Amino acid sequence: MFFLQDRVFASGVTLRSCSCIFPTVSLQMKDLACTSDSYVHEQSPSNQTSIAMMQEPQEMVEETVTVEEDPGTPTSHVSIVTSEDGTTRRTETKVTKMVKTVTTRTVRQVPLGPDGLPSMDGSSPMGSYTDSIDRRYMKNGERYITPQASSTLTRSYNNYNDSYPESHEGQYRPYIGHDGYGDLSDNYGSLSRGVNYRPRYAYVPGNSYRPDDGSFTLPSRRDNYGPVAQPQVPVGSNVDLNRSQPERFQPEPYGLEDDNRSLGVDDEGYELDPDYSTVNRRTSAGVPERGRPHKGRGYDDPIETEMVEERIPYLHGGYAAPLAQPERGSMASIDRLGKRSPSIDSIRKDPRWRDPDLPEVIAMLSHPIDPVKSNAAAYLQHLCYENDKIKKDVRHLKGIPILVGLLDHPKPEVHRKACGALRNISYGKDNENKVAIKNCDGIPALIRLLRKTNDMEVRELITGTLWNLSSYEPLKMVIINHGLQTLTNEVIIPHSGWESEPNEDSKPRDAEWTTVFKNTSGCLRNVSSDGAEARRRLRECDGLVDALLHALQSAVGKKDTDNKSVENCVCIMRNLSYHVHKEVPGADKYQELDASQTTSMGGSQKKKKDDAGCFGGKKAKEEWFNQGKKNGDLDRNFDTLDLPKRSEAAKGFELLYQPDVVRLYLSILTESQNFNTLEAAAGALQNLSAGNWMWSTYIRATVRKERGLPVLVELLQSDSDKVVRAVSIALRNLSMDRRNKDLIGSYAMGELVRNLPSRQQRSAKNLEEDTVVAVLNTIHEIITDSSENARSLIQTQGIQKLVAISKSSQSPRETKAASHVLQMIWSYKELRNALQKDGWNKSHFQSVSATPKGSKGIAGRSGYDDSTLPLVDKSQDNEKAGSRDMIPMDELGPDGYSTIDHRDKERKYKTSDNTGDASEKEPLKNDTNRKNINRSNRASVNLVDARDIKPQPVDSWV
Amino acid sequence: MSYVPGQPVTAVVQRIEIHKLRQGDNLILGFSIGGGIDQDPTQNPFSEDKTDKGIYVTRVTEGGPAEVAGLQIGDKIMQVNGWDMTMVTHDQARKRLTKRNEEVVRLLVTRQSLQKAVQQSMMS
Repeated sequence: MFFLQDRVFASGVTLRSCSCIFPTVSLQMKDLACTSDSYVHEQSPSNQTSIAMMQEPQEMVEETVTVEEDPGTPTSHVSIVTSEDGTTRRTETKVTKMVKTVTTRTVRQVPLGPDGLPSMDGSSPMGSYTDSIDRRYMKNGERYITPQASSTLTRSYNNYNDSYPESHEGQYRPYIGHDGYGDLSDNYGSLSRGVNYRPRYAYVPGNSYRPDDGSFTLPSRRDNYGPVAQPQVPVGSNVDLNRSQPERFQPEPYGLEDDNRSLGVDDEGYELDPDYSTVNRRTSAGVPERGRPHKGRGYDDPIETEMVEERIPYLHGGYAAPLAQPERGSMASIDRLGKRSPSIDSIRKDPRWRDPDLPEVIAMLSHPIDPVKSNAAAYLQHLCYENDKIKKDVRHLKGIPILVGLLDHPKPEVHRKACGALRNISYGKDNENKVAIKNCDGIPALIRLLRKTNDMEVRELITGTLWNLSSYEPLKMVIINHGLQTLTNEVIIPHSGWESEPNEDSKPRDAEWTTVFKNTSGCLRNVSSDGAEARRRLRECDGLVDALLHALQSAVGKKDTDNKSVENCVCIMRNLSYHVHKEVPGADKYQELDASQTTSMGGSQKKKKDDAGCFGGKKAKEEWFNQGKKNGDLDRNFDTLDLPKRSEAAKGFELLYQPDVVRLYLSILTESQNFNTLEAAAGALQNLSAGNWMWSTYIRATVRKERGLPVLVELLQSDSDKVVRAVSIALRNLSMDRRNKDLIGSYAMGELVRNLPSRQQRSAKNLEEDTVVAVLNTIHEIITDSSENARSLIQTQGIQKLVAISKSSQSPRETKAASHVLQMIWSYKELRNALQKDGWNKSHFQSVSATPKGSKGIAGRSGYDDSTLPLVDKSQDNEKAGSRDMIPMDELGPDGYSTIDHRDKERKYKTSDNTGDASEKEPLKNDTNRKNINRSNRASVNLVDARDIKPQPVDSWV
Repeated sequence: MSYVPGQPVTAVVQRIEIHKLRQGDNLILGFSIGGGIDQDPTQNPFSEDKTDKGIYVTRVTEGGPAEVAGLQIGDKIMQVNGWDMTMVTHDQARKRLTKRNEEVVRLLVTRQSLQKAVQQSMMS
């Protein structure tokens, strides 16, 4: 086989002059100060929310609430404003040339563009460079120049190499040298030196230029102003020569010294300066200098020569321009200072200045000089802010792989800015952008960077980007695969305050609600909705559940339960609680007796009716409880229910369903004012109380013992539709416990009925259809097998509302649900007298919608809409016989609430699993909108399940 | 990209050198492989060509030696220490990777993003 080794790129030949695109353009400075403003607002939480809302429906697979959000504001840019003055002045002409040089390079790189590939190895020839740089830094005592600086060089060097085929490497060496140089110096002086192609070492002393940089004291400033700030010079080709008279310009940089650089060093540099005079540089950059023996490379090479020549026009032309951008702002400052120089004036008037266009900005991302890269990325972030068109253009122009490539850049300002740009690009409804990031391995790159960096801001940007990405379904698993454990270890656990092995002496720590934590929990919240496999991965992720619970406990302790992080955590918990009883390893051990047994005991219990029905499981459960109690009285047993003693503390996913969590959720339900949090906490209880296994039985009893029922009932008055819905369904699940059912029937019926729309107005609160259906289903469940509860329904004047709904609701689903309730009521013969006294007759209870039922009399819960029967039958066949109580109405309904519906569908896919979910009522919790509905959220679950059945392809760890 | 078994192939590959990590008695690489000529290639979620019976990286331990070395989920392993991996059984591949006396494995891998990058640069 023939392999092209190691990322080969198109050959250097591609150099062709992209630069000609902008032959005559000159630079224009962009006012960074303004720009920075907008950065501040970028993706501020408020905007996000709206979008988030729009996106939510999509994401709502199962009970999940997915929100796409961006993290808060990128702040780095703020400092820009401050720094302007200094920057500006420094920018003088000298710079110009360098800029051009730079430009040239850029041009050449353009074709090579997409070396956005991660992972270049560090074996660059830059070593010596690095050394000298370091030394220099030391000398100047510049603190903020970190060792990274040196590595940066290396990196850029590498990039450069990467882009060129090895065979041509030699030719490019000299350039590379520069590049490195450019990098070092955010300062112009060094840049110009670079232009000279002098041997690097010679410049070491020149580092004294550094001090000039002094003005860049703040790293962030520097970021923004970097070389970009420099090129004020409008580029007519030769003009530069004139301009760059050292006398004029040099003083200025030094004028900047107020930036606290030590003069001594500067002076040194000063002396050296003449060497670097623009004129010289000019020449050296020019053809004549080619033959010089710097490093003995390349220029002798004819090809290179050509290229150089070719480049020259561009120097003055196109590419220089974009670089110059930031200057305008700086000029302004100069004006203020009254220091404006004639040259600047002319620059300003020069009509040739302009903003760089998008291709130029993207080209600059590959610029060999780091600050150019970072400025380009920052500018890109700015451009992309709330501008979907630009985001798309960036994608089409292949800018995304380059940005992703920059994530591995060792220099903080470069990867920070790249990350900021990616965050903005990843935000929004256009999922193509997200896919593009994923396709160039952006997700592992982000995760890698997260592991590497300690910079809070970068971490915020990374996790914000991941949050955005996580809102798109197909990327969720990718994020889990690459980043779950890292996100947990790097963010969730440390910020949650949880410690796997707490020290005796250390106090338990509280959670810190940092932005990073918020973003990360938001991301996990989104990915936790991706079906059974995703849930399994999250549950089994070391420390995740423990840490989330710890965080929530601490939130409750501090009464700080309204924030977004808490919301995210609760949502994750809720999602992970979904189907625990089926999906958790060893769950079968805890399964309770199911259908067959249920049925057999059904008769012996309360009513003459066989109430094993679709919720017959409850009987089984109760029975289970009774075992070992040797005591026939159900209710009393429940109240004295002893939870099993654990031999060791629960940990990991076991914590999800330990009865202890009930208290936590109830506290949140009591404390929180955040509707999403309330909904999620109720949803968690709802998920936990569903199902047939031992733990759900405990949960149901524990909710009662912790006095949770009143808390829930009170929330039925909530103004939030979805809270009402979740609580209502939770109550329905809880009422599988007989004692709960009695209590709920007595105390909650009034609230439930109040939530139903009355004839006049749609509803006091104008609840959504889903909510109304949920409430109706809950009422149905509560009155099933309990004539007492049916009686209290009558007493709360519920019949009138029910009849109104069943006769006149616009919604077929509401109509159906209401008529089922009515049928159930009518089935209690002992109540009919009372009903007739109130003026009701049989026709009111024979639903309009259930037309064909005429023949099926009173007992006629079998009188359901025929169309629904087949599905019901199927499910019944699999389960047990006595499912007359089933409520078939929901099977195709969008509201995933009904048990039956859910089970039913599942069963179609999961042939192997018919372990009586008889009594499971797991609501899929969608915050539905219509869209949701059409989207068949359930399908994905089913598919996942289906996949689980298939033999997995062989997969070996090595 | 599709491959004809036995025919030369042009692919953009990356060299990846993984230093195994000692875990107890075992040396681990920290990734898992799927595929092989004895496996059902249609089940491979990573291959573009669903008849490709090559060996693919299916999972990578976060922070493990493979990830550190730059291996990524979905990479197709072309060679292991010079041995061809495009026409081997799953087990052969596994054995080749887990030789106890080798502390280092050198892989040649290819992935779509590499291919694309090259294409792009050729086109532009």
